[in-house]
Amino acid sequence: MENIISIKNLNYTYPEAKTQAIKDVSLDIKKNQWVSIVGKNGSGKSTLTKLVDGLIEADSGSIEIDGQALSEESIWDIRSKIGIIFQNPDHQFVGATVEDDVAFGLENQGMPKEQMVKEVDHALELVKMADFKNRDPQSLSGGQKQRVAIAGVLATRPQIIIMDESTSMLDPEGRQTVLDLVQDLRAKQDLTILSITHDISETELSQRIVVLNAGRIVEDSDPATIYNLGADLTHFGLEEPFSSELMSQLRGSLELPTGYLNEEELMDKLWKLRSKK
Amino acid sequence: MNKLIMGRYLPGDSLIYHLDPRGKFLLTFYFVGIVFLANNVASYAFLMAFVLFAVYLSKINLGFFIKGLKPIIWLILFTVLLQLFFTPSDHPLWHWGILTLSKEGMVIASYIFIRFILIIFISTLLTLTTTPIEISDSIESILKPLKKVNFPVTQVALMLSIALRFVPLLVDETTKIMDAQRARGVDFGEGGLIKRIKSFVPILIPLFVSSFSIAYDLAIAMESRGYKDGEGRSKYRVLNWEKRDNMTVIFMAAVTIILLLIRSY
Amino acid sequence: MEITFEKVTHSYDVNSPVANLGLDDVSLKIQDKKFTAIVGQTGSGKSTLVRHINALLKPTSGTITVGKRVITPETNNKNLKPLRKDVGMVFQFPESQLFEETVEKDIMFGPMNFGATQEEAKAAAEEMIKLVGMDTDYLQKSPFDLSGGQMRRVAIAGVLASRPETIILDEPTAGLDPVGRREIMDLFKGLNEDGRTIILITHNMDDVADYADEMAVMNHGKLVGSGKPFDVFNNQTLLDNDWLTLPKSAQFAQDLAKKGFAFSKLPITVTQLASEIKQQVR
Repeated sequence: MENIISIKNLNYTYPEAKTQAIKDVSLDIKKNQWVSIVGKNGSGKSTLTKLVDGLIEADSGSIEIDGQALSEESIWDIRSKIGIIFQNPDHQFVGATVEDDVAFGLENQGMPKEQMVKEVDHALELVKMADFKNRDPQSLSGGQKQRVAIAGVLATRPQIIIMDESTSMLDPEGRQTVLDLVQDLRAKQDLTILSITHDISETELSQRIVVLNAGRIVEDSDPATIYNLGADLTHFGLEEPFSSELMSQLRGSLELPTGYLNEEELMDKLWKLRSKK
Repeated sequence: MNKLIMGRYLPGDSLIYHLDPRGKFLLTFYFVGIVFLANNVASYAFLMAFVLFAVYLSKINLGFFIKGLKPIIWLILFTVLLQLFFTPSDHPLWHWGILTLSKEGMVIASYIFIRFILIIFISTLLTLTTTPIEISDSIESILKPLKKVNFPVTQVALMLSIALRFVPLLVDETTKIMDAQRARGVDFGEGGLIKRIKSFVPILIPLFVSSFSIAYDLAIAMESRGYKDGEGRSKYRVLNWEKRDNMTVIFMAAVTIILLLIRSY
Repeated sequence: MEITFEKVTHSYDVNSPVANLGLDDVSLKIQDKKFTAIVGQTGSGKSTLVRHINALLKPTSGTITVGKRVITPETNNKNLKPLRKDVGMVFQFPESQLFEETVEKDIMFGPMNFGATQEEAKAAAEEMIKLVGMDTDYLQKSPFDLSGGQMRRVAIAGVLASRPETIILDEPTAGLDPVGRREIMDLFKGLNEDGRTIILITHNMDDVADYADEMAVMNHGKLVGSGKPFDVFNNQTLLDNDWLTLPKSAQFAQDLAKKGFAFSKLPITVTQLASEIKQQVR
């Protein structure tokens, strides 16, 4: 499959900063993949997404989105291919009502009014917020606001959605509805998802986890392999998966494999051990 | 605080709600102007009848309009009493020192009182039936001719609507910061003037800091959604001037003519 | 100090036609020197509840007793300082309360308001910055030059500096990474072991199971359950009504039960779960 994002030897240092925020990062991401980017606070995760969207300019290296190199000329084209959902639901809601907010990106493209009305309705249907069209943001929960933000980026038909810790300020219920929605949309809309997160259960939804530490990629593999790190995951800003925590407590007395098992696999294993008894 | 800024728009559904906000906005100002043409019982009664008719059309309870008087009731009473006791007259009914009570004074005082009511009722009608965003849209539309002299009308309108959008958020933020500092032992409104002013520093600085961080985040979010500089944008909200708006203007003209006929010269 | 809520009702916007009940007839005892968690969905009244303990909000009816002090609807705003000194409160995203030029001055702000001398407050600042796991070098820096996680710690130090006997925490770890979360929670557990009463609002049921001695469950302004976490998480009514979600261990046990394991009571921590499994498998 073709690469939708291709990053080569990227370097970036913030003005007046002593250390490099991004060090020689190269990364290829395939179309329709869900990739988690993890790492401790300050490891360069958010900087990387800002570079990809051209919100800040790299010192050296190259970024290609959907075969198009990121440059001064292509920046608006590229931004229309990428939608970002930021962390704080209140700080990205531009419109006075739900429909106004969803329309914002379309207005920027200069889309005619009639077409806009259709696109806004369609996007709100996709995130199941059509009934809230006329509501103002103050009357929505955090999870609902993030769904509106998703509708806002979907309206412009992007190929990539970046979730920049978009669920970290939500309560468990809101987080679940947002994650279910994104998972559903990825399948239906052929989207590529890049999610920056500290939430282990969010990474379980992805096919690949990229670990950043001090601006470098230090691990890059499928979740099961990454979870093998067990308690060491905390160095990368992730919790130890529940199943691995439980296994390390059981190991002394039960015969368990050394590698990572997900919860389902562990349950089967425990059931077998019990049956053998 | 909430009551002052918010709570002005009352969601509803009636002819007045559906009128074009630009028309409502300009006609409200126009009406405030012609109120000053009234100068006898008949003309005031006529304008009062017109306002009550508009209130009736809006299907909003009259109580909301009376509430609108509350914040400035003292100003009204003061002005009315001033007129009542200080209007010079050749035939005073009662006289004490510099205070004079006369028939003329009573008439003028009651005119002023009615004038206040007319103006407050009609502007309350505008704010109760028009959302802030509609008002900002109207202002943009009314200012449009200024584009010719390079005045950034669209940018100013977007600024206005974003400001309106963030007022409630900042009100929440202020409440939260005040609570946090109260929990750390700050007493607001205690001690002398200097102490009182000082006690607001722990509120104002965090509020500035969070306003800037909101502004920064918002700017990034807007840019990532393709906002350049306001040029080449289309508008989702389009105001529609319809037949009923024409009718309203004609009706208003008729009101003016009748007013001119029944006022005394 | 023991804290008692007796038939407390709080309604927002009393005078408006759309009055809504923040608290509805809540009676609750929060025990002295215990670690109590308060859980419930967003908007269930958790924050409204705790804001009554230091009289940031006053009840519409009912009384709250905090140690010897009594808060009623008639309580006036004067003389609340001693109460607020004894009851410290860490708000959600507390870093937004920082305002001084230096970290030291910001931490000293609370103690000085409550009548400490310059020296006492300075000493408290030094002690507290170490307590929250930061170097004393940070004292002379501007709080606005710190990272988000460090700002959070400074804000917490600023609350602890007044040496409150009761500490109320409103989701103190929201937005932190797992390591930061664990460190902050361990800090509060330590303060609890030193004899402080801790009241924690949280959505994280694993934290409740791992740290709390007691818990209270709120729903739509009403108290719908309270007691020891082990008993509360085994209360079927609360779970059936979706008023409460389970910690991961209990969830896992429930799933194992479907496969044929048998738990008379759901274990709520990993350790409990592991020992149950060992018994059943061996």
